[in-house]
Amino acid sequence: MMLEDELTVGTRDREGVAIIDLVGDVTTFAEEKINSAYREVTNKGARFVLLNFRQNDYINSAGIAILIGIVTEVNRNHQKLAVSGLSQHFQKIFRMVGLAQYAEIYQSEDDAIIGFKRLNAA
Amino acid sequence: MTYSTSPITSLELTLPNELGYELVARDAVAAFARRLGMSLDQIDDLKTALCEACINAIEHGNSLKPDLRVEISCRVEDERLVIEVCDEGVCPFAPKSEPLSIMEKLAGLGSLRGMGLMLISQLCDESGFVSRNDTGNCFRLAFQRRRVTRLGR
Repeated sequence: MMLEDELTVGTRDREGVAIIDLVGDVTTFAEEKINSAYREVTNKGARFVLLNFRQNDYINSAGIAILIGIVTEVNRNHQKLAVSGLSQHFQKIFRMVGLAQYAEIYQSEDDAIIGFKRLNAA
Repeated sequence: MTYSTSPITSLELTLPNELGYELVARDAVAAFARRLGMSLDQIDDLKTALCEACINAIEHGNSLKPDLRVEISCRVEDERLVIEVCDEGVCPFAPKSEPLSIMEKLAGLGSLRGMGLMLISQLCDESGFVSRNDTGNCFRLAFQRRRVTRLGR
């Protein structure tokens, strides 16, 4: 029986930023979906990757481990990573585990797009 | 029908040993904590910490064996909510060393997993394994019901 709010993952492009929408719970069961979406945008040549969280009531340490794996790949592929849409609680969790050192945290997708534009212009 | 007016100060749950059931415990204990007047921020911390403790019990203590159970007990002690998460594992589960930092993980020095205990220790006012006479591991988490704001939180 699946008790989790199963993760739905989608990808899209907005103004040169590859957005990976993550709707639902981010746990060990999300690994293939998240990694597959990341591979898809990378194969299309993405330089800027945004993990856009929505309605994420549950992100556990196994889910965080998946995201650390994405950071590893982002570093290897010389991309820039940011996250948006996290609740205040999960923003705190991301800072606790150190993910905020490797991915800028934005309140919203719009803020992240502005942030990436600034980065691109610098 | 009459209802008891005495405050309920304890709660006990038994979970199947299957990933995902930590969410049942999370929602039940969060509702209990709300009745105790804990703040929403504290309850968010409790939910994450409890889920991590349950995952450790299911995955490590009980080795994902479906015939085992995870017992959770909550009780109010003075101004604290104390939660114990106990498994039936025959092997003790305790980390042998400090968890790796994210920098060490990114450098490939170990597993990307293994952040649960670190998160728990930062989210709770008190946490750690407690000894018990029965087999299995028992992990205790405690939260001040009216937490004094600490630096960095």
